[in-house]
Amino acid sequence: MSYKCSRCKRDVQLDEYGGVRCPYCGHRVLLKERSRDVKEVGVQ
Amino acid sequence: MTEEYDVEFVEREDREARFLVRGVTPAFANGIRRAMIADVPTMAIDTVRFVENSSVMFDEQLALRLGLVPLTTPPVGEFVEDDTVTLSIDVEGPATAYSGNLVSSDSLVQPADENVPIIDLKDGQRLEAEAEVVLDRGKNHAKHQGGVAVGYRHLQRVEVVGDVPEFEEPDERIVRGVIEDDGELVPTSEFDHDLTNRYPDQEVAIEDVPNAFVFHVETDGSFTVEELVTRAAETIEARATELEEAVQL
Amino acid sequence: MMVPVRCFTCGTVVGEHWEEFDERANEGEEDPKEVLDELGVERYCCRRMLVSHTDLVDVVSPYQ
Repeated sequence: MSYKCSRCKRDVQLDEYGGVRCPYCGHRVLLKERSRDVKEVGVQ
Repeated sequence: MTEEYDVEFVEREDREARFLVRGVTPAFANGIRRAMIADVPTMAIDTVRFVENSSVMFDEQLALRLGLVPLTTPPVGEFVEDDTVTLSIDVEGPATAYSGNLVSSDSLVQPADENVPIIDLKDGQRLEAEAEVVLDRGKNHAKHQGGVAVGYRHLQRVEVVGDVPEFEEPDERIVRGVIEDDGELVPTSEFDHDLTNRYPDQEVAIEDVPNAFVFHVETDGSFTVEELVTRAAETIEARATELEEAVQL
Repeated sequence: MMVPVRCFTCGTVVGEHWEEFDERANEGEEDPKEVLDELGVERYCCRRMLVSHTDLVDVVSPYQ
């Protein structure tokens, strides 16, 4: 799953040991990217 | 019912009308009203496939907005329940996505209103989606409700019974709907709903005309008022036939 | 956020009138009552949909 750092806007790949942290700027807020598949939603 | 039906239009436009029906029972008038609201099938978006949505609203919110856009409903027999039509929308910001941006796969099914804003897209945002349109009834979801603000009132007969005593301050007499004065139909909006404007210094008596109802019908644009009323009557007929067959078995 | 497409109470489509209403009554100086009358938004259920609405898209868009 790919994330994006909310400060430096770079793509971040999370690994098991690194913890939640941007490897480029050290920022701890990461945003999850929207998946690329088509999403089907019903009108309710 | 032994009496003959008699229908007379008071106001008539494409999407809004007022008409008088004579010779129907209150129960039947209400049956027609309810059929117009809940039983006439209309086309509406049912599922949406989002290819891209980077707008500020969630997919589910946009799906509901798309679903509520009224679509023109094709003539009876062109479609049956379970048939589908596909609409697609592709708008890139900075722009506003309107219901008019929906492109239909079938010319019979088009957005009835083109200027409904779906979502405001900022620079770099994009909305790309495909929507599946189905035919269904107002009973199941309000988006399929073709008749909007459908109602009826008794026709009221107004008769002049005398004069107001000279030094008495006349009270206002508020009436809404349509009145019958000497066989002439007058919508109350013509005299600001106040009988003292129409009959100054006169004493009037109002009574409901039995079995005469003035319907007020508006549609959401799916079809014309005439179409809505006739289709409502057809659904009542279909249900009556169904009952008849069920009883005979 | 965005204007509701239909009136919550009666189901009339009100969204199509929003932009003109906003321009004339909110941004402009016209009397909202007159604008609504001209747009043909008659009932008070539909009128409140437009009168009480605030567009929030510009407010939330920086937080994407």
